[in-house]
Amino acid sequence: MSQVRLEQITKSFGTVTVIPPLDLEIADREFVVLVGPSGCGKTTTLRMIAGLETASSGTVRIGDRDVTELRPGLRNCSMVFQNYALYPHMTVAENIGYGMKVRGTPKAEIDRAVTEAARVLNLGSYLARKPSALSGGQRQRVAIGRAIVRQPDVFLFDEPLSNLDAKLRVEMRTEIKLLHRRLQTTAVYVTHDQVEAMTMADRVVVMNQGRIEQAADPITLYEAPTNLFVAAFIGAPSMNFLEGRIERGESGLVFRGEGEVAVAIPAARSGPLAAVVDQPVVLGIRPEHTMTTDPDAPTVTLQVRDIEPLGPHTLALGKVGSASFTAQVPAHAPVAPENSISVPIDTSKMHFFLKSTGFAIR
Amino acid sequence: MSARALTGSRRWLALAGCLVWFAFTLFPLYWAAVTSFKSPIGVVGGATYIPFVDFEPTMTAWYELFSGQRGGFYDTFTASMIVGLSASVAATAIGSMAAYALVRFTFRFRLLSALIFVVVAFGGFLLGRNVMGLGQGIALIYAFIAALALAVISSRFRLPGPELGNKDIVFWFVSQRMFPPIVAAFALYLMYTEVGKLGFKLVDSYIGLTFAYIAFSLPIVIWLMRDFFEALPVEVEEAAMVDNVPTWRIFFGIVLPMSKPGLIATFMITLAFVWNEFLFALFLTNSKWQTLPILVAGQNSQRGDEWWSISAAALVAIIPMMVMAGVLSRLMRSGLLLGAIK
Repeated sequence: MSQVRLEQITKSFGTVTVIPPLDLEIADREFVVLVGPSGCGKTTTLRMIAGLETASSGTVRIGDRDVTELRPGLRNCSMVFQNYALYPHMTVAENIGYGMKVRGTPKAEIDRAVTEAARVLNLGSYLARKPSALSGGQRQRVAIGRAIVRQPDVFLFDEPLSNLDAKLRVEMRTEIKLLHRRLQTTAVYVTHDQVEAMTMADRVVVMNQGRIEQAADPITLYEAPTNLFVAAFIGAPSMNFLEGRIERGESGLVFRGEGEVAVAIPAARSGPLAAVVDQPVVLGIRPEHTMTTDPDAPTVTLQVRDIEPLGPHTLALGKVGSASFTAQVPAHAPVAPENSISVPIDTSKMHFFLKSTGFAIR
Repeated sequence: MSARALTGSRRWLALAGCLVWFAFTLFPLYWAAVTSFKSPIGVVGGATYIPFVDFEPTMTAWYELFSGQRGGFYDTFTASMIVGLSASVAATAIGSMAAYALVRFTFRFRLLSALIFVVVAFGGFLLGRNVMGLGQGIALIYAFIAALALAVISSRFRLPGPELGNKDIVFWFVSQRMFPPIVAAFALYLMYTEVGKLGFKLVDSYIGLTFAYIAFSLPIVIWLMRDFFEALPVEVEEAAMVDNVPTWRIFFGIVLPMSKPGLIATFMITLAFVWNEFLFALFLTNSKWQTLPILVAGQNSQRGDEWWSISAAALVAIIPMMVMAGVLSRLMRSGLLLGAIK
């Protein structure tokens, strides 16, 4: 059992508090991704689990052990760094086996572990090479190999793929996922790339300014973001936001916003919204939910500024009123910059947030 | 603009400039070389430049040097070698450890602790010397031990006053090279004679001279190595820390191999300093552990300005350093860090 528990953990550098009290529980064998914009405290949190930073207060537990005061080496974690951090003067085999050698493991056993790791990671023919003679992807695989021979309780990944090119990143993403499925070791993975987070995680922890905004499985994050930050952060291209008010119309509730936006709210969604009538709210709609073919769908008028043909569909970027808005339109739709188009809104996919707090209204 | 991009007359001008500078730097060496083959009359009788053309070369100076007529050449050469190598090795080793500690660990202490050290060290010495009537050497040792102990103990308590950190320690190290060496040389001589009275011979001894050189080389070593260590990617060490590699093994097994070029460069600079050092050797040695610079300078004083033998001795003093530099620069391959990080 190697679940990780952070209890009321904080971190300050001098007088600057980077992490206000934070609680996070990571289940055994879970693959958790910490994601957020740079400076949100995700790497600091990871380094506190590793022991490379000491928590200013609070408790870190790995399995049943309180490791808060333990030095990194005794926590039985393995860490993979963004910049690989290989030992440049050692060969691939020595790099992978160095930790075992230092711990006094018999040579035959080291060789066996190194060979096995090399086989898993397709590094067999590179064992005698120095890291300088490897490509970026191979170097990162060596770093992963060094991590797996440790047989750790927890894998820690600190943006391991962000130095790789886009194609390799997608491949390595799958490789790491497969590796996790096979090894079944608890893993904490830090990234700033929300696509990486969504595709790899059992559970995504969205962080902002040292706080956890939402921790949930990828689909929940996408479908039911708890606040404006998560809604804006998850999904690419990101969600459109229109500010306005809920008003009581003749046939139910209506969202009215700037630029003559009026979206009738279906009865099924009216329940929670009735409580915030006349309060400032934000309507969120993802670009991919502006392609409904329902003829009764409400529409907004988009002043198009630019179009981005992506192949399967095209993105129309522009403004609704004064708010930036991106709509997804069919690939061959007659849309051109400087035109106005009428964009339908899939009312079942709308999100509403209270403007004052940013929380979702449900 | 690169020199390769030059064309026509500009190219020739650049070449001429280089050649002039080359001649300028090489001429003293050439002059020493030809002078060492001249007879006394050939030296004083006006400038001559080319052997067999201008003057008839003679081996007298070289013969006198190697036969020992000009002071114990072999002993001096050996002393220089032993002191130079051991002081540079020790200074580089100790200095790199100190520099690594200063780069990777945070030290904090109160100014007050440092002041306690200074006050107790000086006060204790004066007290021991003048009130308790101890000998200088004994008073010095007692005062130093007491000062160190009190400073260490006091740093355990939360003292008031400004806090000093790593930067201040580095400055303190480097500041030792800011005053003229003659101050230190003279003070060291006095201290060594006092300690000598206690029965530990330090003047004209291997230990005494080597210690002085180590102490005086440390600031430079620490300063240089600190820069090299700061340039190392900290993640490599962190990876080893997570892998439960003990700190000393991280230092010897990972940090030192990664900073090999820096170590060699620092060792070379230290060796050059110790090899060429004159002042300390003059003060702290008198016969057995005399070094080459003293021998070279000595050629001047014994029987007037004997330039031919000065030249011969100077050339001999240069050769080992040239060999060292040649050998070591081969080891100073760059690109050792390649592959460690992106």
